[in-house]
Amino acid sequence: MYIKIRNNHIELIKSANPYLIFATIFVFVIGLYFSLFQSPPDYIQGDSMRIMYIHVPSAWFALMTYSILAGSCVLWFITRNPLFNVIARSIAQVGMVFTLMSLITGSIWGKPTWGVWWVWDARLTSMLILFFLYIAYIFLWQAISNKELASKISAALAIIGFINIPVIKFSVDWWNTLHQPASISKLSAPSIDVSMLIPLFIMTAACFLFLVTVSLIRFRLVLIENKIIRTGN
Amino acid sequence: MSNLIKRDLLLSFYSSANFFFTVSFFILILILIPFAFSTQTDQLKILFKGIVWIALALSIIVTVDRIFNADYEDGNLDIIMQKNKTIEHLIISKYLTYWFIYCLPLLVILPILSFLFYLDYLETIQIFINLFIGSFGMVFIANFVSALTLGAKRTIFLKAIIMIPLFVPFVIFGSDADSWPILLALSMLSFVISIYVTAYGLRLYGE
Amino acid sequence: MSELKTENLSCKRGENIVLNNINFSIKSGETLVVKGRNGSGKTTLLRILSNFITSYEGKVMLNDLNILEDNLYNNKFNLIGQKNSLKDNLSIKRNLELWDILYNETLDHPNLLEHNNLHQLINRDASSLSDGQKKCISLHRLNYNNYELWLLDEPFVYLDEINTNSLIEKINLFNENMGMVILTSNINLPKKFHKEFII
Repeated sequence: MYIKIRNNHIELIKSANPYLIFATIFVFVIGLYFSLFQSPPDYIQGDSMRIMYIHVPSAWFALMTYSILAGSCVLWFITRNPLFNVIARSIAQVGMVFTLMSLITGSIWGKPTWGVWWVWDARLTSMLILFFLYIAYIFLWQAISNKELASKISAALAIIGFINIPVIKFSVDWWNTLHQPASISKLSAPSIDVSMLIPLFIMTAACFLFLVTVSLIRFRLVLIENKIIRTGN
Repeated sequence: MSNLIKRDLLLSFYSSANFFFTVSFFILILILIPFAFSTQTDQLKILFKGIVWIALALSIIVTVDRIFNADYEDGNLDIIMQKNKTIEHLIISKYLTYWFIYCLPLLVILPILSFLFYLDYLETIQIFINLFIGSFGMVFIANFVSALTLGAKRTIFLKAIIMIPLFVPFVIFGSDADSWPILLALSMLSFVISIYVTAYGLRLYGE
Repeated sequence: MSELKTENLSCKRGENIVLNNINFSIKSGETLVVKGRNGSGKTTLLRILSNFITSYEGKVMLNDLNILEDNLYNNKFNLIGQKNSLKDNLSIKRNLELWDILYNETLDHPNLLEHNNLHQLINRDASSLSDGQKKCISLHRLNYNNYELWLLDEPFVYLDEINTNSLIEKINLFNENMGMVILTSNINLPKKFHKEFII
């Protein structure tokens, strides 16, 4: 694939890395301080709800990353600009990490709240499916030896997955109403106090910085990898 | 188009994918239910309605390589693509033969099996209708997954990881009696997506 | 009398230029040998000529009609690729039966195979054959009739002297019946064909 990017752009990304890593850690530490010490415990759930400050941002970014992934795959098909393909490939891994993170934190939060590690409601199940969509995207790309072809094929799969997510959400919702009464949804949308919004906001910023940092490292690696594949031929 | 159907049926007959084997596969999967759970009538009834879908999904996962991958690896796909007028003809005949070989046997023995699992006539007819509609949708999905993964050899687990999330809606609505209109809608949606994506995959690998 | 010609044919795979400005023409009754090093784009050229690759620059014309716009073109050529198109788990007889259906023509296989001394293979599984024998069976598809153009990708690989000569004979006979042949080859052939083209 041919990308109009000059070497000094790659160098620029590389030189920004340490600052970004530092900023990520810094904001994370502040966010942790606010969420662990500077915010009140929930009057029903107590301290266990503090895991929300990591759970909610990672769930947001898991979904957002997949939207960016599918969106850039669509744009790649429309504009034929290989930059979109590189973007899609650089954010896939970090999106998978966010999804895994939101699943793990969600189930840790679920144990004291619902008394079980896992409930089969629409959001959790579609999150789990989302995790496997990321896995399918990443590993299909690796399984096909012709990388040009692999990019096109896995992009098509990412778009199909994007159509699949709302279908899954809808079906599991429907399935839930049939099999078990929705008891969880009442707990999950409480009005949030301002004192809780501040740490949530900082942690969201930290997760965003993490996303940007890791994606840029991946972005650079994908570009270098493409060069190797190119000269390898 | 009819030549390809004839050839695929003959090929499957020769390579031990015949009716007898497919039926045996379904029966053996379903035999595991009483062994794994219990032989109580009311429990078996509930389990059967779900596990026919798992049996169908399993048989599709196991045989997905036979749609396009085998022909691609030995070179027959070139002949098939050359001899068919349009790629849509090719894809639709593949849908039909694949459904005929791997899904029809399940539908044929379903009445006998549901008798073994104590289902009454009405329930059997409901499951039959759901399976009939849903199996087409799952075949459409299997076809495009096979076309997309032509370059990835012997990766049956990867194909399963791609396919099972797409099967989830079918399994959810399939085990409910009154939701055949939703299954029909899902099958039609997957038909529209599948015909484009399969053609896309085949054209890419033809190059 | 028909003529196949390419006009300024160029093809890129990704950013690699595989074919650059290819111009040749071939008339009925002629054979073109395409030579070139490994990876020089010989197979790509054949896949363009058989309409599998459609994104390229330049044109391929058969009788002044672009092959991409010719709806009947797919019935005019017979492509024998490097893969043998044999099902390993089936006997040769059954493989031939499957080909007959795909090519929509029933041949008298025992007689045709006897000509090449291949008739004793007919009941054996394809997997038990040597590479040379598989190639011979694969080239057996040239017996299907009514094609104007043969596209052969490395047909002489694995063939011994006798089979090489009989293939050359077959190509000559096809040329005499006003057929066109385009074949790729790396090795020096015992006989000179009409035209040679080096990529």
